Amino acid sequence: MPEDVEGALRRAIKLEWVTIGVLVVTVSIIFLVLGNSQAMKTAWIEDMLSFIPPIAFLVGVQIAGRPASVERPFGHHRAIGIAHLVAATALAGMAVYLIIDSTMKLIAAEHPTIGGITLFGQTFWLGWLMIAAMVITSVPPVILGRMKLHLAPPLHNKVLFADADMNKADWMTGVAVIVGVLGIGFGLWWADAAAAIVVSFSILRDGWVNVRAAVKGLLDARATTYDDTEPHPLLHQVQDYLDGLDWAEDTGARVRDEGQVFQVEAFVVPRPTSSIDIDALEKVRTGLKNLDWKVNDVVVAPVRTIPDVARKRDRTTT
Amino acid sequence: MLVVGLALVLPTTTGCTTHFPADPEGTLTSVDGGTLRVGASINPPFVEEKGEELTGDEVELVEDYALTRDADIEWTEGGEEELMSRLGHGELDLVIGGLTAKTPWAGKAGLTRPYTETTDRFGTRRKHVLAVPLGENAFLLDLDTFLHHRDGSQ
Repeated sequence: MPEDVEGALRRAIKLEWVTIGVLVVTVSIIFLVLGNSQAMKTAWIEDMLSFIPPIAFLVGVQIAGRPASVERPFGHHRAIGIAHLVAATALAGMAVYLIIDSTMKLIAAEHPTIGGITLFGQTFWLGWLMIAAMVITSVPPVILGRMKLHLAPPLHNKVLFADADMNKADWMTGVAVIVGVLGIGFGLWWADAAAAIVVSFSILRDGWVNVRAAVKGLLDARATTYDDTEPHPLLHQVQDYLDGLDWAEDTGARVRDEGQVFQVEAFVVPRPTSSIDIDALEKVRTGLKNLDWKVNDVVVAPVRTIPDVARKRDRTTT
Repeated sequence: MLVVGLALVLPTTTGCTTHFPADPEGTLTSVDGGTLRVGASINPPFVEEKGEELTGDEVELVEDYALTRDADIEWTEGGEEELMSRLGHGELDLVIGGLTAKTPWAGKAGLTRPYTETTDRFGTRRKHVLAVPLGENAFLLDLDTFLHHRDGSQ
């Protein structure tokens, strides 16, 4: 891992610890103003779920760093993929919980009850305290999420990306609670549940995108960028390198995303097909490995024909 | 975007409400200078029956509250379940009868702040509350404020 990437990883680890610390404070604050309000209870449960992505990240990174062994010959890189699935499932689960919970409240026409609270000898509406708590607890996720989004691309760490989405979900539900509580204040009993439903569909979308990407990653789908919007540029670099081999008649490669690093299987049809130069194959192996720190392992196979799935893809995009 | 939109629309759609928080069913408005419909479940010393008259700590409490709102009290006697069902259907504004903060009716009714604490014969601390209809937040806050001041004056 190059110096700058390692620095980014250290920053990301620190950031996730900060996130956990902030969550502990957030959960405590919300617990104190919980009252018997259902809206706040939902916000609280959701903050509990927010613990999952940072913990998954820290455990994932820790395990992924362990070296390969005879029993685990491919190393532990997939820990990142598993962590991504765990984090993504937490995100999607939170959205589903919110949608079901809020819909039930709307159907039951349950009127949220928020009474008074006595603090410092004054009795005032608990709703104001809830709004204050939500304003305070919604600011850190905005900042933390933005910082994580900056680190996700250089690290190619999708757990970090999913966690940034979780932070987005946190502050969005915070805003939803504020709108909902204000709505309740104006006598609109449905405002709270309606605001939660609007927000949870956006969270569900993020969760779904992440779950799908995590499952695809674990199924060895073609490697994509950290946000799963396009094929990873390294795929083109690998093919470009292989195209540059003057002794090869035809080449192809398939790349697995192991989480933070890639594993490349390169296929080469030598010219003429009967001759195989071990040194040349070895050179391809090191050449591909030197392309990028993310290329963790390379297998080069001399073949008579390139498998269809490893064929050169449409490269007009490069 | 939708959330922001909702935030902008909310104050305008509700028009002018006299209370914030407001009652979706307008309980406080109908109590104010009107009638307070109270369900009382016999449970000494909170609610007792002496001849035709209701007495007890919570009966006095309700009578005191009604004075602050210049309201007449319409009493309904009954079992807790019957009274809670009437409260849920908007036939009552308040249910009393030695309810505590841990009442199983918590999800079916709104509860006020505890007005007093007692220890029962099993040694458990009991926080005594009154039950109001769900979501009638102006009425609930008004009661809470009343209970707070009464608590402070005693």
